[in-house]
Amino acid sequence: MHEVNPQAVRPYADHLDDGLVQLSFTLPVAYSLAARRAALELAAQMGFEEPEVVHYEQLTEGYTYFVMYGRCTQTVDFAALQDTGFDLEYMSEDEVEHFAQTHIGRPVVVVGASTGSDTHSVGIDAMLNLKGYHGHHGLEGYRCFETHNLGSQVPNSVLLAKAIDVGADAILVSQTVTQQNLHVHNLTELVEMVEAEGRRRQMILACGGPRVTDELAKELGYDAGFSKGTEPQHLATYIVRELAARAEAGAGRGSGPTSGPPSPAALA
Amino acid sequence: MPKLGELTGPTQRLALVGLAKNTGKTVALAALLRELARGGRRVGVTSVGRDGEERDAIDARIEKPRVELAAGSLVATTDGLLRASGLPYELLEDAGVRTPLGRVVVARLRCAGTIEVAGPSAGGDVRAVADTMLAHGAEQVLIDGAIDRRAASSPAVSDGMVMATGAILDAELEQVVAQTRDAVELMRLPPASEQQAVRERLQALRAGMPGESLLVSEILEGRALPHGFVLTAEAQEVAGQLDASPDAGWLLVAGALPERLLLALLPALRRRSRELTVVVSDPTRVFLRKRGPAWFARQGVHLRALSGTELKALTVNPVAPQSHRFDSRELRAALARALPGLAICDVLHPDYVDCEAASAARAGETR
Repeated sequence: MHEVNPQAVRPYADHLDDGLVQLSFTLPVAYSLAARRAALELAAQMGFEEPEVVHYEQLTEGYTYFVMYGRCTQTVDFAALQDTGFDLEYMSEDEVEHFAQTHIGRPVVVVGASTGSDTHSVGIDAMLNLKGYHGHHGLEGYRCFETHNLGSQVPNSVLLAKAIDVGADAILVSQTVTQQNLHVHNLTELVEMVEAEGRRRQMILACGGPRVTDELAKELGYDAGFSKGTEPQHLATYIVRELAARAEAGAGRGSGPTSGPPSPAALA
Repeated sequence: MPKLGELTGPTQRLALVGLAKNTGKTVALAALLRELARGGRRVGVTSVGRDGEERDAIDARIEKPRVELAAGSLVATTDGLLRASGLPYELLEDAGVRTPLGRVVVARLRCAGTIEVAGPSAGGDVRAVADTMLAHGAEQVLIDGAIDRRAASSPAVSDGMVMATGAILDAELEQVVAQTRDAVELMRLPPASEQQAVRERLQALRAGMPGESLLVSEILEGRALPHGFVLTAEAQEVAGQLDASPDAGWLLVAGALPERLLLALLPALRRRSRELTVVVSDPTRVFLRKRGPAWFARQGVHLRALSGTELKALTVNPVAPQSHRFDSRELRAALARALPGLAICDVLHPDYVDCEAASAARAGETR
């Protein structure tokens, strides 16, 4: 039996490195043998070897649903990704409390809102409110956090004024990002306003939403992005670690930018 | 057509700022890098977002231009992206900045090649890495923007800027021109007063009371406004403050100036038959959404800035990805009529590219 090669990882189904992938999709064509051939051809064009239709059925008139298998020949270099610092080991609620007490030693103030015209406050509520999400408390339930949930449709300037007023360590915004420029503009405007107020280095800015990736968060100018699957303790872990790292860097500064703090990965 | 490299020549720290996503900032950066490499200038590159990635972060159907750097170039990017480039490099400094994509380092490339660039986001950190690269021998530092972010064009960060606009702003050419003109006028806000003595007095008031927004009277005395006023004031509070300072001619804003305050000022001023000059530290502090400075000026609110960054050129992308396109020459001509005296380039158009080839040939002849 051979071992996993982290430099060349590929999908696993029956045995290591078989590269088997299951995919499902619908074609807007009538249920027929021709439809089945079309699906096979499409999968081949996607680069799958030995494509196989294991199930197909009429979804509704003129539409056919397929489940297919295919062999993926490409590999991905997981080793290179592993040491780029993306990984952050999350702490439990108790561990966060303990970490905050020893490394920060004062309440951590977090202000959150769904900004602009976005009426969805589900994400913010899940992260901040006591009720929380997936059986985990929101930040409101932690002793180490002082939270202010401003709700939905909050103008950026109002959110920022509140953050300044309560001395926020972190601002959390949730926004459903679509390909419409409006949503993106709302998110960049907040970052730019914090900058214009001269407070960018004092506040951690985090954004969340179903389509927010690390890459998008970086382009928007946020310190962190949180997407589907994020639980309150993930956010809590990030905030207390980042705050501690900044405090440490601030204390160590003066010797120039070389005295940087360890990355989240190194701290984990 | 003048070249970006010539137009931005002596600028040590040059910010590239877009009016929206897909206006062609990175394409302009790539053209500028080619020109500078040809001229043998050693550059440093950073990005407030992320550059040189293969796919758009929001719409994966959009392919992005790659960033190609000459050997000896300096770059501020994350340690992971630096390694992923596969290029040999010399690590110069750790910038002490963490981003969602990893920690930022400053390095010198030993070979030419393509690399993804993701430097610091915060203005202060951008300035610090730019200065680090200058200290390590870069003759010019290029700071690429992201989406519609402008903070890097603040005079606190950069010495000059190039603005990118394009068809993506609107399906109507006239609208693209109007929105671009508004944005250019905002970045070129006039000084607070034509009189030097008044400018100096306002500067002194600003310096004397940092963090305070002030209403300044005709005899140039300032009265501090409540904290949060500029960010949150509603119509009634605005009216109250105007009545408390009946001879106020200037509003000196400490930080960000949101459009909602300007909109709250309009009816209050109109009812009192007054006008007001609103002065910000620099144009990156102003947040307009629907209207431009000219429109507000017509309503009696005059936007001014204590300092600014020179706009060196405007680049144009006549194509809106997955949507519509304009004729490049027509769009450039319309923009030139609206913005006389401003250099306008479409770096992918034959008008520019031929001239790039011609100037390369000229450079060859003179050698």
